[in-house]
Amino acid sequence: MGIRAAAAGVCLTIMLASAETPYAPPRTSDGKPDLQGIWETRNAAAFDVSEIAEGHDIPYLPAALEKEQKGSRVDPMAHCAMPGVPRINYLPFPFQIVQRPGLVIILYEYLHNQRLIQTMPREHLDGIDLWMGDSVAHWEGDTLVVDVADLGDKTWLDSARHTHSDALHVIERYTRTGADTIRYEATLEDPKTYSKPWKISMTLHRNTQPGFELREQECTEGDNGRAIQPQYRPAPKGDPLEFPRTYPSSAEVSK
Amino acid sequence: MKIAFLICLAVLSCWGQTSAYVPPKTSDGLPDLEGMWQPRANGAAYSILPHPGGFFLGAESKEGIVEGGILPYQPWAAAKVKELTQHMEFDPTGHCHYEGIPHAMYFGFQIVETPKYIAVMHENMHAWRIIYMDGSPHPKDYSAWMGDSRGHWEGSTLVVDVANNNDKSVFDMAGHFHSDALHVVERFTPVDKDTIRYEATLDDPKVFTRSWKLGFPLKRARKDYLFLESGCFEDERDQEHLVNGKAALPADHYKQ
Repeated sequence: MGIRAAAAGVCLTIMLASAETPYAPPRTSDGKPDLQGIWETRNAAAFDVSEIAEGHDIPYLPAALEKEQKGSRVDPMAHCAMPGVPRINYLPFPFQIVQRPGLVIILYEYLHNQRLIQTMPREHLDGIDLWMGDSVAHWEGDTLVVDVADLGDKTWLDSARHTHSDALHVIERYTRTGADTIRYEATLEDPKTYSKPWKISMTLHRNTQPGFELREQECTEGDNGRAIQPQYRPAPKGDPLEFPRTYPSSAEVSK
Repeated sequence: MKIAFLICLAVLSCWGQTSAYVPPKTSDGLPDLEGMWQPRANGAAYSILPHPGGFFLGAESKEGIVEGGILPYQPWAAAKVKELTQHMEFDPTGHCHYEGIPHAMYFGFQIVETPKYIAVMHENMHAWRIIYMDGSPHPKDYSAWMGDSRGHWEGSTLVVDVANNNDKSVFDMAGHFHSDALHVVERFTPVDKDTIRYEATLDDPKVFTRSWKLGFPLKRARKDYLFLESGCFEDERDQEHLVNGKAALPADHYKQ
């Protein structure tokens, strides 16, 4: 009995200890956590970002909310505009992270967007607005922290018309939490639009389908200004809203 | 003594001629072509053939980038080029489309290398491509503006096979086109620490009578070169502008 109790105690201690120990990620040749691979989200934040917002609430200033309601109802992405950060990360399209010493590159399938992120401190560019912003990164322990500014005021945060001003400043945090998961958090500061900084968080899941590769996704405007996104990948097998999605392989399609 | 000196000199000079530049290796032991590169593409974005100066065709280019200065079009294709020359509003890059390969290579880009793939981030049109280096075949059910790139190393030369091209991308703004049978083999040969020789062999039996070659040097960008976002989507309403540009190139300009 005593031995059993002691064993249970030891087991409990081990379980508690392991619960507290963060995941030890594999590392790249320069000793940084390896974030490389193809990642995708499994949520519907692309439609409404409040789904992944802390408290499901966006702390709008009353004047900003009024401005938003009077603003354009046409999503800039309906004209094939680049989606901006953080919206690009929760679109239902995979993206690939590539790492080299001093550099993290994110290649997005959606509209062939790319972010070249240097992991060395520098000042943000001055006097320029970029659709995808200016990203400056550093490592805090095993977390990649990306500071994004110069985002302009043209992008939306989702299809539900959540907007921001040119004062938007996004701080993203990428932390490996398992073999096939990254914890993604972003803090959005915009004193012209929000009463306080607010936070979104979600899990990025690795696409583990063998042979899966990013493809070219192109968006062009039709004559009436409507976005045309030709099919570029065979439809997923089964229910497209069920995750993880499985796509037919090249061999299966050409049969 | 004098003869020995001359022999030494002869050996050294021969050595100098035959030994190719060997670039340093990356941390993964690959020939290091990494970095930001700027092509010296001789006005190829306007026309890959020799062309006069002018508003739409930019500066004059006496050489162009095509080996021999002539494109071996089939007769129907030569007629189509003449017509396209008069309709620059059809140029897909004017509508913010991908350039395709080799067209995208006339503009600055960054290369990073991993053992399984090489990523090329093109600055223009925020295009990128992944060159798979794992010996995998081209996909079967796929056609793309930028095609599908699979590569291998031949010594220090990166050889890239580009297939799965669509029939919509073009070679330049001067109407030079291809079909979906286009097959491109690119060769990136490091020449010195700041220069890569870029060559492409192009084969398209639906449009040309034989394969042909183009090439130009890539120069390493200055250290303070800032890779910036190029956002292009069609909202410029400049169709009229493009149509007016047609006068820049006489219809009988190209010899066959």
